[in-house]
Amino acid sequence: MTLDRRRFLRALGGLGVAAGVGVPLLSGVRGSASTGELLASRRPLPRPFTTRFRVPPVLVPTRSDADGDHYDIVQRPAIVEILPGVRTPIWGYNGRFPGPTIRSTSGRPVIVTHRNELPVPVVVHLHGGHTPPDHDGFPTDLLQPAGRTGSSRDYVYPLRQPAATLWYHDHRMDFTGPSVWRGLAGFHLVTDPHEQSLGLPSGDRDLPVMITDRSFDADGRLHYPSLDPTLRTPGVREPYGSGVLGDVVLVNGVPWPVAEIPAARHRLRLLNASNARRYRLVLDPPPPGGPALIQIGTDGGLLDQPVAHDAVELAPAQRFDVVVDFGRYRPGQQVDLRNEFGDRTTAAVMRFRITQAADDNSRIPDRLTGTPAPAPPVITRDLHFRHGTVHGMPGWTINGEPFHPDRSIADPRLGSTEIWRLSSDFHHPIHLHQASFRILGRGIGGPGPYDHGPKDTIDLRPAEQASILVTFDDYPGRYVLHCHNLEHEDMAMMGAFTITR
Amino acid sequence: MNPTSPTGWTHWPLRISATATAVLLLDQAVYAGQFLSGSFAALHTHRENATFAGLAVLATGACAVLLRWPGRGPLWPMFACLAQFALIGLQIGLGFARVLTLHVPLGVGIILGWIHLTVWAWRHRPAPASPAPEPAATGAVPS
Repeated sequence: MTLDRRRFLRALGGLGVAAGVGVPLLSGVRGSASTGELLASRRPLPRPFTTRFRVPPVLVPTRSDADGDHYDIVQRPAIVEILPGVRTPIWGYNGRFPGPTIRSTSGRPVIVTHRNELPVPVVVHLHGGHTPPDHDGFPTDLLQPAGRTGSSRDYVYPLRQPAATLWYHDHRMDFTGPSVWRGLAGFHLVTDPHEQSLGLPSGDRDLPVMITDRSFDADGRLHYPSLDPTLRTPGVREPYGSGVLGDVVLVNGVPWPVAEIPAARHRLRLLNASNARRYRLVLDPPPPGGPALIQIGTDGGLLDQPVAHDAVELAPAQRFDVVVDFGRYRPGQQVDLRNEFGDRTTAAVMRFRITQAADDNSRIPDRLTGTPAPAPPVITRDLHFRHGTVHGMPGWTINGEPFHPDRSIADPRLGSTEIWRLSSDFHHPIHLHQASFRILGRGIGGPGPYDHGPKDTIDLRPAEQASILVTFDDYPGRYVLHCHNLEHEDMAMMGAFTITR
Repeated sequence: MNPTSPTGWTHWPLRISATATAVLLLDQAVYAGQFLSGSFAALHTHRENATFAGLAVLATGACAVLLRWPGRGPLWPMFACLAQFALIGLQIGLGFARVLTLHVPLGVGIILGWIHLTVWAWRHRPAPASPAPEPAATGAVPS
């Protein structure tokens, strides 16, 4: 062999090796911002920013008495227009998606009478609520379909908790993903006199912003990969067991809407109600002279002090209350809320169109609230959230075990504080019912930039360890903790825990 | 290369097979990095590619046999491939059992060992077929 031929062969071999390693390396080098698979729509999608932003209607109590404020909600199928000119069947609280917003005051009980006119059982969970166990929406506490006994019941919410952005949604064991996808989600906003006294933007400058991703079938239906579309046998077809990602971003049930707002401070109650998608939200263009988003609150209520961000990252079920001073933009300007974790159609979220200058006497105090120091922790527990085998099928586990309603994986004492160390393999937004927690740290570092304040859901990222300080107040009884990637939750990444006396 | 010489070609299958296997083994690290970054599908690829890498190691072992017969080269590369194959079997078992405390260092070890073998395969020059090689064969044995 000549030297040239050898050189050529070597170069060829080197190139082959470089390609064989380099192509997969570079094609996946960004990793994934969300654990899940994209389920593409089977119909043409509207252009972003062509539909009007709207806020879900506030539900009026049917009566108010010494017991509290009483509301009626009927869960029923409905046909609504989500995409312009397209009829889409949904399951909705009062036939709406999102459901009507309930606004209530700390300490004033709310009694919601739910009637189930859907073809399957339902469970209602007030996410973030400090609720007695019988009313918390344990996944097997079923509200049967109409025609059977038990198709109507009262959920009683004492709401002895600070002002916070809560939401309510379906929680039936094995079927939360498809039920929420079909529309069973709504806001429940709690206020208190302290929050009212702060001078934060209020009224029509206090905007709930529920962000969900969905996919649409050719006939206009919501597209979801259920094995059984009647939702009696659980499961999704592969590869969607890792999570379902849609390609249409809905804000309060409207695709990529436009909000016309005056040039003044607004409070945006950002809620990621998506099944599996994470968002990194920014304003484009950013406002002149500093951070766009002033965070004032999160899952469990107000932060001690406001925190300035250029971007916020939201895992499923998390809430970020931010104040945006649109007075820093000029009238006529268009400002996009963008998702830096998005790709193609999911990079856009919504648009603000600044109408005119406006009076603004709102403010953001330097100090928002005070948090009493929690009791010293009495125990440290380890919880591992991992992919695994569930009844012979691929699924998701906590400490190697799938969900079993009768098996308690922790028994904290009422009034005690514990440290829980959580570890993950993929993205797992871990949600604790009833208990509120603070994030102590991630890995060998402290809390991340989006970990401020009282939380009920932590954005646990792939191969990450995090420590949280959890306080078990209010009510003894059996609750659940689970992954709020709803496909993971439905495929058994849930555990019961019992708060004991 | 002289096809009539018993040693002129027998190191080539080993070189090619070892190199291709090295790519598959390095890709295991690539896919591991990707699912540790949240890409669920990469876990599946990591599992499938482990099987292919194991088979490729066996095929390389077969090529190493040629190095000895008819190549009259050393036999240890074949045993090295068998040892790597056994280690990969262990590695797959550790991965499924999620014993990452061993799975990760063993993976590094397997790749290091394999790169060592591959570099050797490219550096190895077969010994001349006879004390007095034919003139035609000299071009096939570069200095």
